[in-house]
Amino acid sequence: MSDLPIGRPITRRPVGANITAVGVGLALAFGVLAGGAGWWQVVEAGRLTTAPDNPLVIATARTALRGQVVDRAGIVLASNERDANGEVFRVYADQAVSHVVGYASLLFGSAGLERTYAADLVGLRRDPVADLLRKFDPTPADPQDLTLTLSLDLQRAALAGLGADRGAVVMLDPRTGGILALASSPVYDAGGIANPATSRATWAALNADPVQPLLPRATLGRYVPGSVFKIVTAIAGLGSDAFAPDTIFPEQEAGERDGLVVSGFRIREHAGVPVRSYDLAGATEVSSNIYYALAALAVGGDELSDWAGRLGFDAALPFELPTAVSQVTNGGGDFGGGFKDAVELANAGYGQAETFVTPLQMALVAATVANDGVLMRPHLVASFSSAEGGVRPVRPDEVRRVLGADDAAAIVAAMRQAVEGTLGRQFTSGAAIQGIPTAGKSGTAELGGTGEPHSWFIGFAPADDPQIAIAVLVERGGRGGARAAPLAGALMRAYLVDGVGR
Amino acid sequence: MTGATARPLPAIVPGLRPRPRWRELQLLVLAAIALFVGSVSLGATVRARAAVAADAPLPEGALAPHDLTALLVYLGALFAAHLIQVLAGRRTDQVLLPAVGLLGGLSLLLMQRLPQSLAGQLGGLAQTQLIWLVLALGVITVLAVGVRSDSWLRLYKYTWAAVGVGLLVLTFIFGRDVNGARLTLDLGPISGQPSELLKVILVVFLAGYLSEFRPLLVEQSTRLGPLRLPPLPYLAPMVAMWAIALGIVVIQRDLGAALLFFAVFLTLLYVATARASYVVIGLGLFIAGSAVMYRLFGHVAQRVDIWLDPFADPQGAGYQVVQALYAFGRGGILGTGLGNGLPVVGGRLPIPEIHTDFPLAALGEELGLIGVLAILGLYLVVIERGLRIAASAADDFRALLAAGLSLVVGVQAFIIAAGNLKLIPLTGITLPFISYGGSSLLANALVVGLLLALSDRGVEPPPPRPPRSRLARIVDRGAR
Repeated sequence: MSDLPIGRPITRRPVGANITAVGVGLALAFGVLAGGAGWWQVVEAGRLTTAPDNPLVIATARTALRGQVVDRAGIVLASNERDANGEVFRVYADQAVSHVVGYASLLFGSAGLERTYAADLVGLRRDPVADLLRKFDPTPADPQDLTLTLSLDLQRAALAGLGADRGAVVMLDPRTGGILALASSPVYDAGGIANPATSRATWAALNADPVQPLLPRATLGRYVPGSVFKIVTAIAGLGSDAFAPDTIFPEQEAGERDGLVVSGFRIREHAGVPVRSYDLAGATEVSSNIYYALAALAVGGDELSDWAGRLGFDAALPFELPTAVSQVTNGGGDFGGGFKDAVELANAGYGQAETFVTPLQMALVAATVANDGVLMRPHLVASFSSAEGGVRPVRPDEVRRVLGADDAAAIVAAMRQAVEGTLGRQFTSGAAIQGIPTAGKSGTAELGGTGEPHSWFIGFAPADDPQIAIAVLVERGGRGGARAAPLAGALMRAYLVDGVGR
Repeated sequence: MTGATARPLPAIVPGLRPRPRWRELQLLVLAAIALFVGSVSLGATVRARAAVAADAPLPEGALAPHDLTALLVYLGALFAAHLIQVLAGRRTDQVLLPAVGLLGGLSLLLMQRLPQSLAGQLGGLAQTQLIWLVLALGVITVLAVGVRSDSWLRLYKYTWAAVGVGLLVLTFIFGRDVNGARLTLDLGPISGQPSELLKVILVVFLAGYLSEFRPLLVEQSTRLGPLRLPPLPYLAPMVAMWAIALGIVVIQRDLGAALLFFAVFLTLLYVATARASYVVIGLGLFIAGSAVMYRLFGHVAQRVDIWLDPFADPQGAGYQVVQALYAFGRGGILGTGLGNGLPVVGGRLPIPEIHTDFPLAALGEELGLIGVLAILGLYLVVIERGLRIAASAADDFRALLAAGLSLVVGVQAFIIAAGNLKLIPLTGITLPFISYGGSSLLANALVVGLLLALSDRGVEPPPPRPPRSRLARIVDRGAR
């Protein structure tokens, strides 16, 4: 009652002004709707229209001829054929690329690049503004051919090297991110899935196979990394200035002798490491677990998680195929960065505990060090080409600078010593390429139980002018230096010296 | 605007004084031309696609309307509605009918284009919708011509409120669950969605209540710390409305109707009082209620989660929303053309419930961004005409009633369009005049018919003010 206006007639104020305000409000709301429609129908239209599960893509793929997929040398990897009824189906040149090119099947959908680039391969256009001019074009489809950065020869060499073992090899040009080989073993018969005559039987057999040949291990397999993860710890340490290349941890020498006690848990060195203190290069050469446990504790959980994230951990990689997420910890702990306690962090420092990585992720770690600390976006397609559009090359794309060039150079030196140093050769024999400076790090991922460990190697060459970076993983392959390192050396030699895949 | 310049024609029969409606006729001719072109476009596309599928040459006369009979029936009904209004000689609004008629015609074209098996009680989707559309035009005409007094609405507001609550209770007790929501009431052979009728009843009640208590609501307030609340005795209906809206969500699982009712209530409260603080308080209640419901009710949380990231589960929970966005994307700026969109894979249309929940996505694909903008523009025309009628109404009740009726159409169109466009969580209410379904069409026809009747300023003056309530008299004395 207190604020009752005195003397003013109280029922006469018209509602007209309020109605105007409501009208303006509704008009604004409809303006937002118009903006929303514009967002989806113009800005996002290209992305939406070319999504692999868009019914338009699926429907078009049933009738349209797909473009070809060729490797970097022009070898045709995927093309079209007609069956007895005149139905078009896809044929694939070599099972070696089955995990990369994938398949396109009427019955079982699509996978690999056949899925990612379905819209491009069948020639759906992606630009709503260009559509304005071509509204009445009677032949709208313009199938694109894909030229890959990948080399079929190098891919075959990688698979031959893996032999009957399960595992993965990733090779890329660290300067561009262009993938040279992305091999997963075992391979599968993609053509058998695509061919309508054999589709069902092949599909059933592959899905029943206990070794999971349909799993692209290079991109979707997650493995304990073991000592190759030490490079991630080194990047985090130098990057965050937690330690320098010449830092020596005073606790180390005693730890080498009796084990390093972290919160009551005793971390032991593996056999064959001379008892003394090491700096970064020395510790990397002998692959000291004690040094890297101390390094991880010096870095701290937050920083280790953070720097791993800059390398691509904790998210799907920016890549043309689906990737599994690499991790340094399961998360949820309150020790910093999601670690539970100091023990987990110390063990993670040398790639045990709850660290899990994909081979592609570890190849990117090596490539980042090789490329002066800059992570390039990994990619498989070098160019699109079509009758109408001509050739559209894909430009190399920087994801981010992870590390300063000086810090990267210190890690290059350490990784080079790990391959070429007197002690290092004990661990990574065979990775060295005669006449070419080589850098790398082997890993022997202990899995618990009695089985053989996973055998790992990551590296690059030439160390002073890197042209190729590599990650090799052999499941249950034994020691890293014994199985993965020689294979990596042979593959890099094939590329750099013999010119395979050049 | 409402034919003030038109002279009455000579009386044909005693008591019948026709009055020409040139503006309405011009606009109706424009709408008819647009619909004819649309029908020809649809017909040509359908025939051309059939010819390509059969690998046959294009048949003779491919460039003809898709279904001439249906089109003529609809246009005939539209022009009949016009003619009857001319003959009745009332000075009602001349823009509403053409705007609504064009929206309804688009609905007919869309239903002709969709698979007829989507709903088939009366010979297929398009045929059923055509019957409802003609009935709706009939309702509009009868109300526009026949309603000459608003006292049957004005004087019985509590009766109407009771009818509304009764409908709600009936639906709860006897309703049938469709897709997890209890919205449908079966009464013998007739089934319908009472919430469509309820929204009209709600507006009638609110207009009556707010116009009676407007002086009190405007001039008094209760202070609660820094907050200015409406006078507490009159806060009760506000809280009751809030509770009913929540009840609709909880009991009927109908998020869209709850949102619509609450938004219309708050806006009308603002129109009556010009107090932005009431709206702020109402929004606060809404947000609090939403937060609680998000935690308590799975179906609410699921809707919100799908809205936030439909692409998290594009084949499962997010399927409908993702497919709708794909449809908008495929449409682009100019659209694929009527009949040329919505690719069918495995004999299925991409968007489930497309004819009731996603007509805007379907039209967005086939008519493109320009089509969507045109449809949104048509709704704005309807809203503008309705608010204009409200602003020039003779008294508070009529003003609030007209404003509320316009809001019901405008807010409902906004809620479902925004849901289709992923601007807000999707709710299952219909797009007025376009979605398939008799309840929706008839309820919105009721709205348009009442608006037309209210737009006639020449017939009967509003009744004298009813005697003030006792409290109001006390307040008046205090003011003096």
